[in-house]
Amino acid sequence: MIHYIYDGTFEGLLTSIYEVYYRHENPDDIIPKDWEEDNFLIQRYRIETDAQKASKVYKSIEEKISEESLKRVFYAYLSEIPKSGMAILNYLRIGYKMGANVDSNLSNDAVLTMDRVYHKVATEKHRLVGLLRFKMLENGFFYSSVEPEYNIIGLLAPHFANRLSNENWIIHDMKRDIAVLYNRKEWIIKDFTLEDDIIIREDEEEYQDMWKAYYKHISIESRKNLRLKKNHMPMKYWKHLVEIN
Amino acid sequence: MDVIEKLKVLADAAKYDVSCSSSGSNRKNKDGGLGDASLSGICHSWTDDGRCISLLKILMSNYCVYDCAYCVNRVSNDVPRATFTPEEIVDITINFYKRNYIEGLFLSSAVYKSPNYTMEMIYKVVEKLREEENFNGYIHVKAIPGADRDIVDKVGHLVDRMSVNIELPTEEGLKILAPQKNKENIFKPMEQIKNSIVRSVDERKKFRFSPKFVPAGQTTQLIVGATPDADLKILRLSEGLYKGFDLKRVYYSAFVPVSNNSNLPAIKSPPLVRENRLYQADWLLRFYGFEAGELLDENKPNLDLMLDPKCDWALRNIHLFPVEINKSDYNMLIRVPGIGVKSAMKIMSARRFASLGFDDLKKMGIVLKRAQYFITCKGKHYGLKSMNEEAIRNRIVDKQIVTDGIVQLSMFDKVY
Repeated sequence: MIHYIYDGTFEGLLTSIYEVYYRHENPDDIIPKDWEEDNFLIQRYRIETDAQKASKVYKSIEEKISEESLKRVFYAYLSEIPKSGMAILNYLRIGYKMGANVDSNLSNDAVLTMDRVYHKVATEKHRLVGLLRFKMLENGFFYSSVEPEYNIIGLLAPHFANRLSNENWIIHDMKRDIAVLYNRKEWIIKDFTLEDDIIIREDEEEYQDMWKAYYKHISIESRKNLRLKKNHMPMKYWKHLVEIN
Repeated sequence: MDVIEKLKVLADAAKYDVSCSSSGSNRKNKDGGLGDASLSGICHSWTDDGRCISLLKILMSNYCVYDCAYCVNRVSNDVPRATFTPEEIVDITINFYKRNYIEGLFLSSAVYKSPNYTMEMIYKVVEKLREEENFNGYIHVKAIPGADRDIVDKVGHLVDRMSVNIELPTEEGLKILAPQKNKENIFKPMEQIKNSIVRSVDERKKFRFSPKFVPAGQTTQLIVGATPDADLKILRLSEGLYKGFDLKRVYYSAFVPVSNNSNLPAIKSPPLVRENRLYQADWLLRFYGFEAGELLDENKPNLDLMLDPKCDWALRNIHLFPVEINKSDYNMLIRVPGIGVKSAMKIMSARRFASLGFDDLKKMGIVLKRAQYFITCKGKHYGLKSMNEEAIRNRIVDKQIVTDGIVQLSMFDKVY
C-alpha cells in the first residue's frame, strides 16, 4: 500500500496530484501529515510541496475542466473527510477525460462522491452564514466563535467582508484554533487561541437580551414543532447561538 | 415602557404574518455602509414552531383603529399595546444586523390614527436606515391600504420588498370579518406597486442608474380557515395574482384562533395540514406548469389532506403513467410525484452520459418512495403490477395525516 503524505496545505495536495501523474503511480491514499497512522504495511511517500507543480495542476483544472470543478476540489479539500484526497484524485481522473460537463455525470461513482462531499461543505457554509453570531467587545471588535464540522471559515470571510466592511471582526474556529481576522480593509486566516477571557462591551448584554426576547415572542405556541426546528437547525450548532443558551 | 418590553409586545403582534423571506434582491453594500442583500436569502435562526427567522419582523405600532375579527390586534381586543419610535427601530435593526442575528427589517403596522399617518411613520424608519445609517440590508415593508400614492411611491424606492395583505379571499369574507376594509383599497396599492415595478424595470433598460423600485417584488398573505371558502377559490385567486399582478409569493397562514367572535369557526388548533397542502399546490402553479383547474374543480373544490396535490393529480390521470425516465421530457418529468425541479434537472443532465437504471436514481439521491409507482427505468417498472389507481393510492397516502385530517375535517363540518 502506498500512501502519499503531504503537508496539509492545498498546494501540498495539488503537488501530490502532480506527482501521481508524473510518477505514474497509483497511491491508495493521499493524506495530510497529521493523519498518519502506524501501519507496517504502508509505504509512505512524503510529498514536498512545490508551488510551481501546484500551480500547474491548479491551472489545468481551471482550463481543462472548469472553474466550478476547481471550486469543488477546494471544498472537498476543506471537508477534511477521510479518503477525501482519493476522492479528489478519482474525480480529477474522470474530469480530465470528460472536461466541463463532468459534474452532470452523476451515475459515475467518482463524480457522485465528489458531488456529495461538495454539497456537505457548501451546506455547512450556507448554514453558518446565517448562524454565526457576533459579540461586540470592549474595544469595538466583533467576535464570533464557531466549531464547524468542516474547515470553512475562509469561505465565510468574503461574505462578511462585504457586509460588515466598516467593522473590525474576528471569526474564531475553536475546533482548529484558527481565525479569520478582518481590519476594515482585508482579511487573513491565522493560528489563533484566546489567551484571556473576552471582555464584552457594556451594552452587549442588552442587545443579547433583546434578541432572546424577540426569539421567544416571534414563535407561535399553537404551531410548536421542535422536530422541524431541529431539522433546519441541527443541534451541533446550538452551543454558539445566543438565543438558545 | 422600555424598549425590550415594546419589542416583546410588537413581536407578539407581528408573528401571525408568515412571510419572513429575505430573497430576491441583490442590493450591494456602498462604500463605508453597512450590509448587503443575498439573492437567495439567508435564514438566521429557527423558532420553536420551526419557522425561520430571517428578518426582524415587528409592528411599528399595534394600536389599531380597525376591528377585524380574525386579527389579534383589533381595537376591541384586550392586549398590551405599544408604539416604537423610528429611532428605536433603527437602533435595534442596526445592532441586530451587526451581530448577524438578521438579514434586515420587516416592518408592518396596525393602522395607527390613519393609513397615511402610519405610512409616514414607516417612511421615517426606512429613510433613516437608508439615508442616515447607510444601511443596505434587506427591508420589507407593508403598504397600508388607504395610504396616498405619493407616500407609497417614496417608500417603494427605498425598500426591497413591499406587500399588501389580502387576508380574506372573498368580498363576503371581508364584509363579515373586516367591515372597515374593502377590496378596492387593497387592490389599489397592489396595482400601483406593480405598475411602478414595471416602469422602473423599463427605465433601467434605458438608463442604467435610474432608481430601482421594490426590486424583490411584492407579496401578499391569505388567511386559511377563517372563512368557509374552498381551496379552489383560494388557488384561483393566487393564480390570478401571479398572472395579473406579478406577485412574487402568496403566503398562506393557517387561521390561529385568537377570538371568540361568532362569525369565526370554533377550532381548537390552526389547520396546518391544509395550509401545507395549499403551499404544495401553490408551488405546482409557480414552478411546475400546473393550472388551478387541473388540480381542483367544482366537483372537488378542496385539496386532499391525505395526499399531496401532485400525487392526487397523477392518480386522477393515471393513464399518462408510467413515464420512462430516460426519454420523457422535462415538463412531464416534473409532473411525476416525488420528482422535483432539482431531481428532474439532475436526471436530464445525467442521462446524457448513460442510460439510468433504478439504482442510479437511488444513488443520485432521487426520492423514489412515491416516484417508483409512476416511472420506468430502461423499460422496467418497479412499482405495482398494474397501474391501478386505488392500489397505488393505498400505498402512498400519508397514514399519519389520515387521523389528523379527519379531526380537522370534522371540526369544520360542525361549523359550517
